Amino acid sequence: CESDLDVTPEDDDELLADGFFENEGAYKQALAGVYANLSLTSINDPGGSNIAGLDAGTGQYIRGLFNLQNLSTDEVIWTYENDPGLRGMQRNTWSSDNPLILGVFARASYEIALANEFLRQTTTEALSGRGESEELKATIQTYRAEARVLRALANYHLLDMFGKAPSVTENDAVGFDQVPELVGVDLFNFIESELLAALPDLIAARQNEYARVDQGVANMLLAKLYLNAEVYTGTARYADCITVCETLIGSGYSLTPNYLFNFMADNNTNGAQNEIIFPISNDGTNTQNYGGTTIIIQGEVGVPENNGESLGVNATGFGGLFRVRPEFSRLFTSNPLYRNDSRNTLITADRTEEINNVGNTAEGYIITKFSNRTSTGGFGSDRTFTDTDYPLFRYADVLLMYAEATLRGGGGSTAQALGYINELRERAFGNTSGNITQSQLTLDFILDERSRELYWESHRRQDLIRFGVYSGSSYLWSYKGGPQTGTAIPQFRELFPIPNQSLSSNANLTQNAGY
Amino acid sequence: GTVVDATLKQPVPGVNVIVDGTTNGTTTDFDGNYTLSGVNQGSKITFSYLGFRTQTIPFTGQGTLNVTLTEDASELDAVVVVGYGTTTKKDLTGSVALIGEDDFNKGNNVTAENLLNGRVAGLTVNTGGSPGSNSEIRIRGGASLNASNDPLIVIDGLPVSNVANGTRSIISSINPADIESFSVLKDASAAAIYGNRGANGVIIITTKKGKQGLKVSFDSQASVSRLTDKIDVFNAAEFRSLVTERFPDRVDLLGNANTDWQDAIYRDAFSSQHNLSVSGALADNLPARLSVGYADQEGLRKTSSFERTTTSLSLNPRFFEGNLKIDFNANLNFERNQFAPGIEGNALQFNPTQPIYDPNSQYGGFYEYTGANGLILGNVPRNPVAQLMQTQDIASVRRYYGNFKVDYKLPFYEPLRAVVNLGLDESTSDRFYEVDRNSALGTNAEEGETLGQRSDTDFKSSNRLFDAYLVHTKAFGDFNTEVTAGYSYQIFENENFTTNNVRDPNSAPPENTISPDVVLLAYFARGNFNYQSKYFLSASIRRDGTSRFGPDERFGYFPAVSGAWQISDEDFLKDSETLSALKLRLGYGITGQQDISSQYDYLSRYGLGDSRSQYLFGDQYYTIGQPFFRNAGIKWEEITEYNAGIDYGFFNGKLSGSLDFFRKESNDLLSSAPVPDGVNFSNQGFQNIGKFTTQGVEFVIDYNVVSNDNFNWNVNYNTTYIDREINKLAFGQDILTQGISGGTGNTIQVQREGFAPNSFFVYRQLYDTAGAPIEGAYVDVNNDGILNDEDKYIAGNGRADVTMGFQSTMNYKDWDFSFNLRASFGNDIYNNVNSGNAQYGNVFRTVLNNVPTQVLETNFVNTPDVILSDYYLEDADFLRMDNITLGYTFDADKMGKGTLRLWGGVQNVFVITDYSGLDPEITNNGVDNTIFPRGRTFLFGLNYGF
Repeated sequence: CESDLDVTPEDDDELLADGFFENEGAYKQALAGVYANLSLTSINDPGGSNIAGLDAGTGQYIRGLFNLQNLSTDEVIWTYENDPGLRGMQRNTWSSDNPLILGVFARASYEIALANEFLRQTTTEALSGRGESEELKATIQTYRAEARVLRALANYHLLDMFGKAPSVTENDAVGFDQVPELVGVDLFNFIESELLAALPDLIAARQNEYARVDQGVANMLLAKLYLNAEVYTGTARYADCITVCETLIGSGYSLTPNYLFNFMADNNTNGAQNEIIFPISNDGTNTQNYGGTTIIIQGEVGVPENNGESLGVNATGFGGLFRVRPEFSRLFTSNPLYRNDSRNTLITADRTEEINNVGNTAEGYIITKFSNRTSTGGFGSDRTFTDTDYPLFRYADVLLMYAEATLRGGGGSTAQALGYINELRERAFGNTSGNITQSQLTLDFILDERSRELYWESHRRQDLIRFGVYSGSSYLWSYKGGPQTGTAIPQFRELFPIPNQSLSSNANLTQNAGY
Repeated sequence: GTVVDATLKQPVPGVNVIVDGTTNGTTTDFDGNYTLSGVNQGSKITFSYLGFRTQTIPFTGQGTLNVTLTEDASELDAVVVVGYGTTTKKDLTGSVALIGEDDFNKGNNVTAENLLNGRVAGLTVNTGGSPGSNSEIRIRGGASLNASNDPLIVIDGLPVSNVANGTRSIISSINPADIESFSVLKDASAAAIYGNRGANGVIIITTKKGKQGLKVSFDSQASVSRLTDKIDVFNAAEFRSLVTERFPDRVDLLGNANTDWQDAIYRDAFSSQHNLSVSGALADNLPARLSVGYADQEGLRKTSSFERTTTSLSLNPRFFEGNLKIDFNANLNFERNQFAPGIEGNALQFNPTQPIYDPNSQYGGFYEYTGANGLILGNVPRNPVAQLMQTQDIASVRRYYGNFKVDYKLPFYEPLRAVVNLGLDESTSDRFYEVDRNSALGTNAEEGETLGQRSDTDFKSSNRLFDAYLVHTKAFGDFNTEVTAGYSYQIFENENFTTNNVRDPNSAPPENTISPDVVLLAYFARGNFNYQSKYFLSASIRRDGTSRFGPDERFGYFPAVSGAWQISDEDFLKDSETLSALKLRLGYGITGQQDISSQYDYLSRYGLGDSRSQYLFGDQYYTIGQPFFRNAGIKWEEITEYNAGIDYGFFNGKLSGSLDFFRKESNDLLSSAPVPDGVNFSNQGFQNIGKFTTQGVEFVIDYNVVSNDNFNWNVNYNTTYIDREINKLAFGQDILTQGISGGTGNTIQVQREGFAPNSFFVYRQLYDTAGAPIEGAYVDVNNDGILNDEDKYIAGNGRADVTMGFQSTMNYKDWDFSFNLRASFGNDIYNNVNSGNAQYGNVFRTVLNNVPTQVLETNFVNTPDVILSDYYLEDADFLRMDNITLGYTFDADKMGKGTLRLWGGVQNVFVITDYSGLDPEITNNGVDNTIFPRGRTFLFGLNYGF
């Protein structure tokens, strides 16, 4: 009878690994599992989470990215500072116990673990062992390259925010091993080599299924890596950035004629799919989570405006979670020119630009950039969970990167750079009224223009650091460092601390300086 | 001779009759008769039977020896049911409390555990206010940090699962009137026979059996329960002044009504209970008992109710002169629960100047906040009365449980008995949840749709047991031995089906979930030895296996050893009148805990996503597959416990009691602990890391103040001191626990090495010169100039250090009068009702909201600034009178036949406390975030029997 203790799962949704991979379509389901971690927080419940230590929705991949890259900057403020970690995040006083930081480190590491498991289960030996067909093996070769890019993406996020990552690949065992850390230039080189190695096995840009990784995504990641290489490694790689951007520019992407189509419920079909290089899929019916565009759109809804319906959600949304800080709104309000900029989605009526009380939802301007309405005026499939895919990488960014890398001496053509910038401006203004001249094309302009074009798309912190104004006192924004007037923050805060919990469970991880 | 019972003078079958110090013995037959031969002059003959005082009579050559047994379970000779056998109180070596029917609490005891609340040192029972409510039961504080702290409950040898689906609790479906006694196995030397389930102690419930002689009893009681207190919020007039003064531009949002929303959601609750039992011998030689019970309890919160119908049949035939005993118990119980949604929070907040009803409302005639489009608004409170009236949440539970036990004394080898016990516990539950179509709570109601909500959920669970063991009893001169060895097999199965919300077009489709079976398998052995009934030694070992763990870790050994010395039987004390009883007990044992929420982590499992968790590739959504967290080495928690105690008695038992010292070390704690990032499929998972220690003292004193023909007065007091400390956590990391309301994901407690579990983790409030708290100003504990997470400190904890129980029972002629008190000291409560609401900033949020009047003391404005302040920690000490009862018995002479007792009483008579909230006795580890209030209940009842 002791064999009775060997029980097996009986539920149809829970399988032993071997049993799972015997099912038809399992490899694609497992691949979907690797992608889904960028959007979902659990396999069955938007309120559940497969990482612990913070609220499920707060631990969603994109929401974590948004919190660290946007909320810690001048672009946005969160109303409810009693939510754990929020106050420290948006006032740049976080400690290594901050749950938002824990969430990002854990979620990105989990992505690495999922990609590794996929690679582990799809080795040539494993596939042959299960007797898979040659045709399937060839398809899986592409899947594996995609998994490697997703793993590189997570490592890139760790590099950018923490300067280091756990060094773990499919060759490590599942369990509790305290793996070494990969820091700075070593991590940079690992990511670069992985992307270069995956490229030949990937499907050409824009030729894969929607929302799947192609060569365009890998190249975009390389471009971001090269653009920020000086920050990451001390060695500039602007020339490489330009080379990759040129490849991307020649890959057939195009700006969607209406800027706001990029951020709508049907941005997978309304033409924005030609501009969005890598969307993180979201759906009110099939891909429900409390992060991503759901929290962004629900959070945009103003109180007392209750303008949720115009954004495709319920009137009151989530009760005025987000406002923009005055320094951001001035990018649009300081010059009347920007009244005609379609990227200017500020609602200013009956609101003050300054925020004297973070908890007062009526202070500070709100925006309507992201929406759960479709390009034809319809609604998303649900009023709580949005259909809008999050544009993690957009073609517009490629044009901005090309211009910046050129200005930073990476080569390229300044005339071409001006052309790209004006391409963006013409799309934004609907005509040439917003076009700039060669002399106006400066790095300072690029920094502002990136914010006007890419606000709330998880780039701002990285940009401010690259431009040398994130820490220190050269640029103070409201509530930077704590007080409303803003105060200098030390340079060590350009990297986030390794969460205490992660340090404790892996003795090979070291804390970042200053924490 | 014949053995009869003292009260009814009826024969008692199955009485053990043994010549002391020998194996010469027998049992009485159906007519209470016995025959014994070969008895030497001067021998002592002992008559023992469960629930009766054991009698020992010297044999002086009597031809017939008729014996009258007195029913009593609390005496030293009382038979105590322990795991896989029985012993007597006198022979006990471990820390075991026996609570028989006479000791049960009086009054309004709808669920079984309330019969012993406050009666046992080291046992706490915290019962909620809802009808038929479940209770938090803890023995010596529990042994686990993150796994279950619930004791194992065993009914007639059948350990029951702690999965309660649809029912109020795992024991709510048991009729308290069918219970004969409880044995509470408190220390590991007693509980280790239950191996990897004994960690939190064991409560063994023995149900009533059939006896010879017709006995009928009928009990009936009726009660009404009233609300005792409300949370102080502004009344309508005060609220108008508040808004006019502080929010002059919002006065247009004030209404004209005067509503006390708390009054509106509660009611006076009526309840009744009726029990009829008949016991006697069928066909003259088949002892049987049949009982039928019905309980109907309303909750104070409108619409909530609990209805239970129980039927119980017990057949207890004896064959071959009592050598073959068969016990068959079958219970078929039905429970119908109507659950009322928790609307206290909305009742506190809802604007008191708005009406309950609005004739123009499209929401079923209930007032609701609407926006410009005429539809309800989001992020505002919903009308709590409407929530109650427009929700039906009803579970019907059918539960069958019982056992079939054969106890056979082998005819060819007298010292050996073979026992087989088969148990079964099956329950099915059908729960439906419906929200009216015109309710503001309906799916998409904010979009103007009238869908309501609807879901059906079915639960099925079963638990099957097979136990077989041999008992070998033999005396070698003055050396008595009893050796038990056996095998146990138990399997638990659980399945549930839910339609999910069928009115929500985006809800997940119907889903059937089958939990993996839990199989528990064990071999056990125990030896009880004594010399001259003065020196006792007991040793047991269990080899236990569980399907929850992997092949390398699933089996463990759980040993125990304990001893006792009956000092008062030594010559130097034998004749002492003053010190009439003194026994020293020492015990040691190891128990385990395998009940963790995260099961089967040792397997390499993949989960498939449901319909809400798919991912888009191209234009097609794919079901996702993701691996689950793995821990191949997961195993049980191991608890080592030491116990030292003395039992004492003075003046021939007039004053008696016990004193116990214990120390529990919980090792390999199953804790959801951090995992190195990137190497597993979560950042945390259950691991065997951590240690914590519980030490304590229990003291019991029982005093028969007066005892004579007309007047009896007994008082009983017990107290327990418990000290808990976490010694080791995974990687020395703090674990934040105990979520609170206010913000998303806030926690108020921490588990930290060197401190008690459930320690509050807060900011230290700064006060101005006038002694008023300064909003958002805290001590910069680490002095780094930044106020952040690192400045929180530990202030008190949510678990009591000292608990006490006191009972007084008085009989004067035909009158009886009893009351009991309980007290608890040393813990704090975090008043989340105030911390999450009592700030002026909450008065206007889209609509006007009421707040607790406590805001007048603080003048706080913003919840975010103050929610983690130690200002909201309050002293939770209390003294409560649970019950007071007065009864009068019309005795048999006056009645003609049988006895009739009429009684009246009050339940939850008073509470003395400094706590400013509703009730200091809360579960939730000391976080008060509104509770289902406990009413004060007035009872009247009758007991009739013949």
